[in-house]
Amino acid sequence: MKMLLLKAWTETRVRFFSSLLAAVVVCLYHVTQHAWLVTMWTHTLANDPKALTHFPWMPLGISSYNWYLWHYLFDNYLQQIWVLFAVLFAFGGLAREKLNGTAPFSLGLPISRKRWLLSRLLIAFIESIALAVFAIAFTAIASIAIHQTFSVTGLILHTTLMVATGIFFIAFGDLCSSLFPGEYLAIILTLLIFGTPYLIVQTYEQHMRVLGRGDWLRNIDLAHIMAGPWQLTWTTLPWLGMAIMWTMTALLLIAAIKHGDRVDY
Amino acid sequence: MPSVIETHDLRKNYGSHQAVRGLNLQVPSGSICAFLGQNGAGKSSTLRMLFGMARPTSGSGQIFGLRIDNEQDSLRIRQRAAFVAEDKRLYDYMTVAQIIRFTRSFFPNWRSDLEARLLDQFELPLDRRIRKLSKGMRTKLALLLGFARGSELLILDEPTEGLDPVAIEEVLQIIVSLVSDGATIFFSSHQIAEVEQIADHVLMIHRGQLVLDAPMDQVKDQYRHVQAVFPDLVSEQDFRLPGVERVSADGRIVTLVASCNVDAIISHARRMHADSIDVLPVSLKEIFLEKVRAGK
Repeated sequence: MKMLLLKAWTETRVRFFSSLLAAVVVCLYHVTQHAWLVTMWTHTLANDPKALTHFPWMPLGISSYNWYLWHYLFDNYLQQIWVLFAVLFAFGGLAREKLNGTAPFSLGLPISRKRWLLSRLLIAFIESIALAVFAIAFTAIASIAIHQTFSVTGLILHTTLMVATGIFFIAFGDLCSSLFPGEYLAIILTLLIFGTPYLIVQTYEQHMRVLGRGDWLRNIDLAHIMAGPWQLTWTTLPWLGMAIMWTMTALLLIAAIKHGDRVDY
Repeated sequence: MPSVIETHDLRKNYGSHQAVRGLNLQVPSGSICAFLGQNGAGKSSTLRMLFGMARPTSGSGQIFGLRIDNEQDSLRIRQRAAFVAEDKRLYDYMTVAQIIRFTRSFFPNWRSDLEARLLDQFELPLDRRIRKLSKGMRTKLALLLGFARGSELLILDEPTEGLDPVAIEEVLQIIVSLVSDGATIFFSSHQIAEVEQIADHVLMIHRGQLVLDAPMDQVKDQYRHVQAVFPDLVSEQDFRLPGVERVSADGRIVTLVASCNVDAIISHARRMHADSIDVLPVSLKEIFLEKVRAGK
């Protein structure tokens, strides 16, 4: 198993280091922009009487750095980067080997197809965890550098929720990479089929929440399940949403295993 | 001699195309068994089914008595057998040393002595990345990774493709030495001279069906090219006899290829007052071509 994990890591490490770079850019940008945004919001609230109606979250953004981090990182950009790379980490495996001609060598080894799949998914999961941990560690250090106090427990809880529910995207990426033909075509199709609705629903539902309205689309707002409420505790965890995502993850993994067993190489 | 590989009515369809059509074959234990056929005859599909890379559409197959279409059995087969595919691509981001270490970790019977000998013999640079190896070097490396597993059975798909004549000779000698160590070799090849040089059993497949299954000695002993000249005109019909694979009559001359029963065929020609009868051995290449022509 050690060698399989090493192989999976070697094949995805460029993606992993790219993800770290992306996380640095996103986290550094938002941490360093905090002071400027707070100044701007304060000025807006003081000068525009309608601002509070249109942007009811502004006072919270000004007063709570924890809310700021949650909103910009866990409810938006860090989560999006994390989801993108979780899908990309899962791409590859025997489907890719079939394309580049190494599948006969791999399948000639005494390793079951399930083991090939699980070793790769395990590395994708570890990389996803590492990406999230790196991002919050970097955010914490950067926040300390700009003299902001923040809730370590809050960061840990939100990160845990994002990774725990986001495992769905690893399973989704894996199934897509084996179902769609062509390495790059598979990535493009996956992003089109899932990424576009994911972003649209996330943005739309965020807007609806600001307006205090709800509609049926909130039931498929996976981004909000991953972000959870900004004051996250055991009682405010989105248990139903988590259960649905874990069920879907299990179904996707079963589908991937069944499909993998049937493919001819 | 017991069989290491057996298939029964093995079939593989790709959509409406029948790649393998009811294949019944047996590979004797301890033999060097050649698997011949044209491009697209169904050789690679058969080998891939044997190694669990493709699922049979119907029929069955066993290696070491283990079912090829059962996941657990297939794993046990791969612990005891090695497969070197026609497309000898390897993980091109690894170095030679890395892929050897990677492969070795799955085989407890790995033959380090053979690994060292082949590394030296094939002049493979340990620290070079596979993407920087020539095609011939990649083939040698793929063969090393197959040979050194210490397997009881080696299934080789076009093992010498892309090698120079010196390397081909080296590989053939290694194959022979592995058999003398107790292994069984089942290999496909288009190089009939190689097959004649080392094989002791021949299987020939055409359009997904087995058209020849015989020990090499029997093939060499029994197949004969017969040419007879008669005083009068003769027809092909006169020579539709048991053992005649192909016959052609051109005026007073009859040319035929017989797979057996040669003495009876000669006697028949004599009874028809043949002026002269020439009997010549038939090369495996000629037999192969005969089988292909007969199948068209």
